[in-house]
Amino acid sequence: MKVVQGFDVSDMTRFNPDQRAPLWWGILGLITIESAVVLTFCVSYMYLAAYADTWPPRGESAPPMLWPSINLGLLMLSSLTMYLAGRAIKRGNQRGLAIGVTASVLLATTVLVLRSLELMAYEFSWKDHAYGSIVWTISGFHYVHVTSIVFGSAVVAILAWRGYFTRQRQIGVVVDTNYWYFVCFAWIPFYLLLYWGPRVYGQ
Amino acid sequence: MTLETPATPHDRIDSAEQATQLERTWHSPGGLLGWFTHVNQRMIGKRFIITAFIFFLLAGILGILIRLQLAGPEQQFIGPELYNQFFTMHGTVMMFFFAIPVMEGFAIYFVPLMVGTRDMAFPRLNAFGYYVYLIGGIVLFGSLLLSMAPNAGWFNYVPLSSKLYSPGYGVDVWTTMITFIEVSALTAAVELIVTTLRMRAPGMSLNRMPLFVWAALVMSFMIVFAMPAVIVSSTLLILDRLVDTQFFIVEGGGEPLLWQHLFWYFGHPEVYIILVPALGMISTIIITFTRRPIYGYTALVLSVVAIGFVSFGLWVHHMFTTGLPQLGMSFFTAASVTIAIPSGVQIFCWIASLWGARIRFATPMLWVLGFFAIFVIGGLTGVMVASIPFDTQVHDTFFLVAHFHYVLIGGAVFPLIGATYYWWPKITGRMMSETAGKWSFWLAFIGFNVTFFPMHQLGLEGMPRRIYTYVEEMGWGDLNLLATIGSLVLATGFGVTLINAIWSVLRGRRAEPNPWGAPTLEWAADSPPASYNFRHIPVVESRWPLWDWEQAGERAVVTGLRHDRREVVLTSVLDAKPVGVQVLPAPTIWPFVSAVAASMGFIGIIFHPIFFVIAFFLVAFTLVAWFWPRRPWRDD
Ligand code: HEM
Ligand SMILES: [Cu+2]
Repeated sequence: MKVVQGFDVSDMTRFNPDQRAPLWWGILGLITIESAVVLTFCVSYMYLAAYADTWPPRGESAPPMLWPSINLGLLMLSSLTMYLAGRAIKRGNQRGLAIGVTASVLLATTVLVLRSLELMAYEFSWKDHAYGSIVWTISGFHYVHVTSIVFGSAVVAILAWRGYFTRQRQIGVVVDTNYWYFVCFAWIPFYLLLYWGPRVYGQ
Repeated sequence: MTLETPATPHDRIDSAEQATQLERTWHSPGGLLGWFTHVNQRMIGKRFIITAFIFFLLAGILGILIRLQLAGPEQQFIGPELYNQFFTMHGTVMMFFFAIPVMEGFAIYFVPLMVGTRDMAFPRLNAFGYYVYLIGGIVLFGSLLLSMAPNAGWFNYVPLSSKLYSPGYGVDVWTTMITFIEVSALTAAVELIVTTLRMRAPGMSLNRMPLFVWAALVMSFMIVFAMPAVIVSSTLLILDRLVDTQFFIVEGGGEPLLWQHLFWYFGHPEVYIILVPALGMISTIIITFTRRPIYGYTALVLSVVAIGFVSFGLWVHHMFTTGLPQLGMSFFTAASVTIAIPSGVQIFCWIASLWGARIRFATPMLWVLGFFAIFVIGGLTGVMVASIPFDTQVHDTFFLVAHFHYVLIGGAVFPLIGATYYWWPKITGRMMSETAGKWSFWLAFIGFNVTFFPMHQLGLEGMPRRIYTYVEEMGWGDLNLLATIGSLVLATGFGVTLINAIWSVLRGRRAEPNPWGAPTLEWAADSPPASYNFRHIPVVESRWPLWDWEQAGERAVVTGLRHDRREVVLTSVLDAKPVGVQVLPAPTIWPFVSAVAASMGFIGIIFHPIFFVIAFFLVAFTLVAWFWPRRPWRDD
């Protein structure tokens, strides 16, 4: 059969930092899946709350609000530094990228420290009642995620300091940033549910 | 758009030397160690398919053992404990380790070929998913040999599956391995979505996509939205069992029904996750064996998408006997009946396509016709059990067992075997025997009906499911004996196909690239396809590219991909216009290492929670190694 030329792709870019890149879609897929998990956790929380006589159970008080709210602020701030880091590499500013990612990692590490202290101060255990179980499980779920973005982004930071990323070669940064946003923003529904929820349900 | 070039056999876009270079670039390393580094989608797809069929065989043997136990009243062949393990393992393996992986395997193998590209979007992730599946399957099945197998049914209702009523490791193995294998299902789903949306051959706009690719796409989206629910539910259950959380424990303020909601929110779509790709296979086979464009392409696509959506709104029909509020239940009855509409559209389009066509009754087509007969019965009983008064009557009786085997075997296994015959020459380069194929079909068809039809009657007579025996006076003996005989005939039918397959690999007639005269792109590759799938990435101008080329006597292709590394074309989502080129990664051992690290965690936590932490960091390190950029860094 005669073979004729249809499209010539020799001159097309081999670097696809944006929606063109499969990896960009791949991370979107991961975020979708995990969002479904987040949602399922939230629904489970509400289901248990709805069927409970009192929520939180008699004898427990709603957890204090201060530290989680500070964490919320820190996570939002780290998203901002992450965003700036991404902006920097779009302009080819390698130093800006390295600084931004490092700052985000440090901010999230602070969150981990604060969260650890806060969890240790909880007055109830996951064994005590369904309320304790779901609070601890959601907290643990998010804690593990913050740990994983700290770990993953630390690697990105190392590569950034070594000058691996360039204006073209930046897909790694793009997907890391997107996942970072997801983990930080997932804290919002959890925060509302875990800390505002009992105050609303409790009335 | 099309530029004419001289059509000599060795013009500049078609030289043998380039083919050799392509082969060097894309080939998979040999040797035992090499085996663990393979990333090509056809390798992975084939492994998924073969492994899944092995699980089908194993779970099928369990099914037969169950039937032998039930053949007569008060038999002592397998005791109650083993019986519980057997039906649990049978159901679990069939649903999680056979049906979904086999469909994904076919999709992994054929979607890239059908959309005209050289691999999947994330070849290494693909390999990772396979190892996860393999390890998970071995552990689950191994638990049976160690008498540690799950025994609380494939849907593991609490409180039966809680630590109090199911001590021992069985349910732990179930929950961890289910979560683990869903990881594999999810990676494959994301791969399939991205590959389908971003890597189609230029010109293959969404409305020219082969119907099987559509079905695989819908299946993948369903997996993405359904599997997280089962992951969460099994995580909650394992937490209850391992670290004493109270999610499902009433005394601790937990809610057993939460389990059922989460499980069936996944479990109902699960059935359609299995069915939808089968619908795609049926359409594919019908097109080829009537040799004309299918009737109602758009209607078929829309109804598959609709089935995908509606199936998420039905889960409560598995819970009609749990005492939920009446109004809610009526809604779910209505929704359950609604799904008959898109299913009906499918059947209508197929009948219209077959109407007046010169049908070639080759083996794949026979299995499709068998599907029609069986599936219609399964669908009817489905509408019956969607009605609450009737369901209250037959719930947890053999009527249900009959119903869902009509749907699952009729709806998925029959089309699947048809598709296996259909695509066999593409995968192996050899034909299967038609005579044996027809024998296999008739034995399986008759055997199937003899096995499962009597179960309707048994159910109406009140025989509960999941009982290891029954007393003579119930009068269920004769029909049970009949069903057992039927199951042996059914097994013989599948066995003939197995022998046919082995025989074909050893002695089968060699297959040309397009032995059935099909219109879709996978048939433009060699049989079996070369490592790089296509020498030239095709350019597509209609739904039936091969039929077009046949008429035109020529074909347009993409040029300008490098041959010395793994390059594929990226195209736009809707109309498949080329937008870029992607370089894919080469073979590596890391996906395997990662999967082993992850499995350590999943197996380990059954014994101690610390394994979660260990595996978490191990996996993180393997991922870094997997993604670490190698110098020289690409600079173009
Ligand atoms: C090879 C032919 C098969 C035979 C002879 C067979 C036989 C059986 C029998 C007798 C039961 C009822 C056990 C009981 O309730 O006591 C059963 C349950 C079940 N089967 Fe099959 N089956 C076959 C194929 C399949 C396939 C292909 C699937 C799915 C793709 C499947 C999925 C199930 C499920 C989910 C259950 C319920 C298990 C439970 O109650 O936990 N079976 N099968
Ligand atoms: Cu259902």
